[in-house]
Formats: sequence, structure tokens, C-alpha cells
Amino acid sequence: MAPLVAATGLEKHFPVTRRFSEVLRREHPVSRAVDGIDLFIDEGETVGLLGESGCGKTTTGRLLLKLTAPTAGSIRFADQDLGSLQGPALKKFRQQAQLVFQNPFDALNPRFTIFRALREPLLNAGIPKEEHDERMRIAMRRVRLADVDDYYDRYPHELSGGQLQRVVLARALVLEPRFLVADEPVSMLDVSVRAGILNVMRDVHATMGLTAVYISHDFALVRYVCARTVVMYLGKMVEDGPSAEVVERPLHPYTKALVQAVPVPHVNQSREPLPIKGSLSAASAPVGGCRFRDRCPYAFARCTDEEPPMRELAPGHRAACHLL
Amino acid sequence: MSVLSVQDLAVHYRTERGTAQAVRGASFEVPEGQVVGVVGESGCGKTTLARAIIGVMPKTASIAGGRLIFQGTDLLTLSPRELASRRWRDIAFIPQSAMNSLDPVYRVGTQMVEVLVERGGMDKRAAKVRAAELFDMVGLDPGRLRDFPHQYSGGMRQRAAIALALALEPKLVIADEPVTALDVIIQRQVLDTFKELQGRLGLSVILITHDISVVAYATDRVVVMYAGEVIESGATAEVLGRPFHPYTMGLYRAFPDLHGSGGTLVPIEGSPPGLISPPTGCSFADRCPFVELRCREERPPLLDVASGSRAACWRVSEADTLRVRAGEAATWLRS
Repeated sequence: MAPLVAATGLEKHFPVTRRFSEVLRREHPVSRAVDGIDLFIDEGETVGLLGESGCGKTTTGRLLLKLTAPTAGSIRFADQDLGSLQGPALKKFRQQAQLVFQNPFDALNPRFTIFRALREPLLNAGIPKEEHDERMRIAMRRVRLADVDDYYDRYPHELSGGQLQRVVLARALVLEPRFLVADEPVSMLDVSVRAGILNVMRDVHATMGLTAVYISHDFALVRYVCARTVVMYLGKMVEDGPSAEVVERPLHPYTKALVQAVPVPHVNQSREPLPIKGSLSAASAPVGGCRFRDRCPYAFARCTDEEPPMRELAPGHRAACHLL
Repeated sequence: MSVLSVQDLAVHYRTERGTAQAVRGASFEVPEGQVVGVVGESGCGKTTLARAIIGVMPKTASIAGGRLIFQGTDLLTLSPRELASRRWRDIAFIPQSAMNSLDPVYRVGTQMVEVLVERGGMDKRAAKVRAAELFDMVGLDPGRLRDFPHQYSGGMRQRAAIALALALEPKLVIADEPVTALDVIIQRQVLDTFKELQGRLGLSVILITHDISVVAYATDRVVVMYAGEVIESGATAEVLGRPFHPYTMGLYRAFPDLHGSGGTLVPIEGSPPGLISPPTGCSFADRCPFVELRCREERPPLLDVASGSRAACWRVSEADTLRVRAGEAATWLRS
């Protein structure tokens, strides 16, 4: 079976401010936010895109939803090329692929009641009016806001952050999409309410068989919600595998440092220095070779000369490193 | 020996809808040379508490009671001028976003030298040498003193803010979410640097955070705040390992653990009470699975529970049983 989402050779470059000397030399420097990604996602899979700020995870999410056009490469969704989608086919894609935003306080129109916010996608999609009520109730039940009548007449400012994020999720689910991208869906919420949203997301996958990509910098969260984890570093994928495998048996030196850096809520934990040097700085991203070599404690000559390809090292577990 | 003793501190904000009681009778000690974590959710009063201690508060805020005993002196009785003279020298502050604390139009080195000259009474040449030393100490290249703040990465800015806070060798450093805005790897490196310096210089630190993991990693003692009150405090290992307050117990179950067994997380349903008219009883009563009639009528005092630990709950004597029940997901489910 063909994957639901198939991205090949995906690249997205953004122009950066030119220095005067570059203007004179007619150079157009770019920031390579996404720099060659092959990502295949099967129907029903939950994938966590993990990485530090600036690694290109958000840009990748935007590309997968056709919210921005790739500089190079292509994306196929349900065997259709996203780049050439237009008119009714594009509208159909927009209904099948939904986005959940990071900040629920900004995601809803403050002048719309919850009822109106939920109905808006149904109106846009031209769903017959008699189906609206049923669909909205199903969506609200899915996010565990079952007592819909308590919410319909309220405005966003009357709800707590946790309730708002559930409404945002319900709005994304009301059209019964096949594909969902959520960008840091709980990072604005307090710890005590995060768990509720994360549980709702787990349920939604189990009951709807939804295919989803979660974008996050939080390793623990990705492991909790996603069966598969993709680790990105400066526009590249460096590791991809079942979440438990990636956490417990990380292959790439970057993933290893990341796993070790995540603080855990126990007093007895490793306080060993991290096996990593320096800090991530997009400006000094090396071009060619391995992107991680400047911070890698094991880097050797080949890492500068040759870019390591993603290779499968255990069933379903791939990484890009010459040492493996 | 405590460097700072916070006693029954109350801070109010004037708002359009009435007086918001942001901090309500908070008490805890900061022992010399230790890191005390203050942990809580947004709106629990932890930042207000920090600002009250350094004496920098918005105009709408006022101290409504209590004492802040710093090395034998009540900071609340000092004039603004006296307080200002102690800032940086005795008590320094590391803000969450160092970007906002550094002036974007001056070079970082200029700002460091200014603090050393104006507050520390150094001459300019000595100040420059000291600035380079400080940069070296926090793991920054002294050459970068000539740069402007925007030329720094987030981690570098946070290190510069730490260097600035340590410039005059204060007794007490208050750090408000110092690593929250940073990526995990940088977060860990900054925390490690900070811990190493803290140990070496014998600093006393108040570390404000919402992240229990950061508390577990970097603190000796912890103060848990909820709706403006201190609801539990004690040695970090004690409080995290054997919590006495249901909120602390619940917080632990709500937190994803990277190496967790995949067990289901359990949210604490509901949200904290409003601060304009806080409940007369326990502020956690509405969300607490173990609530009793008494909890709603009378506010529980902060009582000694175990070696050095204190908790504000009417049912502390049953904590061992409650802890077992709090470990079961069903306890926290609302019908």
C-alpha cells in the first residue's frame, strides 16, 4: 500500500538579509530551513517531528500541509501531487488535512462563539446543514467536552487554556480529516492540564485511525503520543524509528545527547556532562558533509567530506551517521 | 542559617475588577549555599514573589503584609534608595528572557562594565578585566563582550545574564525561569554551568520554574505554590519522593516521563480559583479528589510533616494512604 504522505527530496530555503558585499556580488544567500528530507507516512501512523528551535520541524509541517511551497522536492498525498493541486481537488485536500496551532488563545476568533467556531469549517466545506449538529457533537465528544450545550454559547475568553485547546482540536476534527498536523499543541498549557490534551490525542488516533504529525521539542511528549519519532537537526533528518526504540536505544550521537539532556522528574538521575560540544547556531551551519560534525564528539575527516545517508540499522529504525 | 526568610508575605494587585491577592501568606526559608526551587503553574504567584523580594514591582502591586528578612534586615522596611543599593550587590536577578534585560543598543561589555562601575565602585579598567573574567567563568568567549545582544544565541544571552547577576558577588540570586526559553541541550548546559558556579561560590539561589524536572535536576529544596499560597515545602528528594499535599501528588502523575512505562498520564481536572475573591477554605479544594467538608470551610495551615517538610492540607496525617490512592488514575477522574 502506498503511504498516505510521501515527501521526497523536500527542501525549503528562505532568503536572508544580504550584506552589502553580497549585493554587489549579486549573491543571494539563503537559510536552508529544510534541506533534503524523505519522509513517508503510512495511513494511521502518528509521527513526532522532534528537534531544537531552528531545525526546520515547523517548516516541514507547513510544507506537508501545502501552506508553503517547497524550493525543491515533491509531496504526494493519497497519490496526488500536492504541488499541482488546484481548485476543487485543493479544497478537498484542505478538508482532509488539518492543522492544530500552538497557541489556543490566538487560534479562535474572539468574536465567535464556540458554536460558530465549530460550524465554520462545515459551512466552508458545504456540508448539508442537517448534518452539522451531529458532526459537531461527535467532534466535541471526541475531545471530551461532551456537555456541548455548556460550551456552544460561550466565547473563547470564557474558557481555560485546556478547554480552548480541546475546542481547537474539535474544530480540526469536525470535518473528519485523514491527516492532522499539530505544532507544539500543549506548550502553552500548564502541566496539570497538558495530560488531558495528550490523552485526548491518543484517543483520537485509536478511535479515528487518524494519521498525524506532531511537531515538538519535547521528547517525553512525543514519546507519549507518537508511535514513531523523527529527529531533525538543521534541516535534515538524523534519526527515524519507533519512539520507544529511539529513546531507549538511540543511534545518532545527536539523539543520544538529546535523550541525556531531557530532565526527568526524579531526584536520582544522570548528571553526566553531555556528549556534545558548542551550541546550535543556524548562522554557522556547515554546508556539505554531516551537519552535526561541529558539535559531535566523534567527528572525523569523512564527516566533513561526505554527507551520511539515512540507513536502516534495525527494523524500521534508521539513522544518518558514518559511524553506524 | 538562612540567608532569606520569607514570612507570611502577601502581595496584592489593584485591578479594574478589584484587588487580586497574588501572594497570600507565603512563608519559607532559603538556607545559605542552597538552591531553593519555587514551582507552580502560571498565575500561582511565583514571579510576583520573586519581584517582591528584589523590590521591583509594577505600580499596581503593593505589599499587603509579611516580612522579608535578609541577613537580619527586613527588606520591606528599607527605603527604595536603600533597597536599590542592595540590588546587584546583595541580591541579583536573572530574568526569564535575557533578551529583555539587556539593552539592545549597547554592547554587552558596556553594560557589564556599567554595572561594575556604578554599583560595584570599580574603576573602568578593573571593570573591563572583571567582565572578561566573568565571561570566562560562565563559558563565554570574552571576545564576545564587544558584541550586541542580538548577535548572541538564546543560550549565550542567558549565560551573559548569569555573568551579569554574579558580577558583584551577591549573596542571593533569584532566577525566574532562567532556562525555560532554551532548547533542552542548551538548557542542560546552562543549568550545569549555573550549578557549578553556585557550588563554587557558595551562592544561595531561588530558582523559579514551572518544570518539576528542572526542580529535580537542580535544586536542594523546593517550595510548591498554588493560587498564591505555599502548599508544600521541604527537601527536594522528600517532596518529590514522598509528597504530602494532594496537588503535589497529582502534579507528579500529570507529567510525562521520557523513560516512562507508557502508563497513562492523569490530568488534574479544573483550574485554580480566581485571585480576586479566593475561597475561604483550601484553594485546591475544587480540584482535590480527597476533599472533605472542612477543606471548604477553613484554610489549612502550613504544618511540619516530616523532617524539614511542611504541607498545608487537613488530611496530612493520612498522607500515606492518600499517596497510594493518588497513584491510581481512577482517583483523579471526574464523573
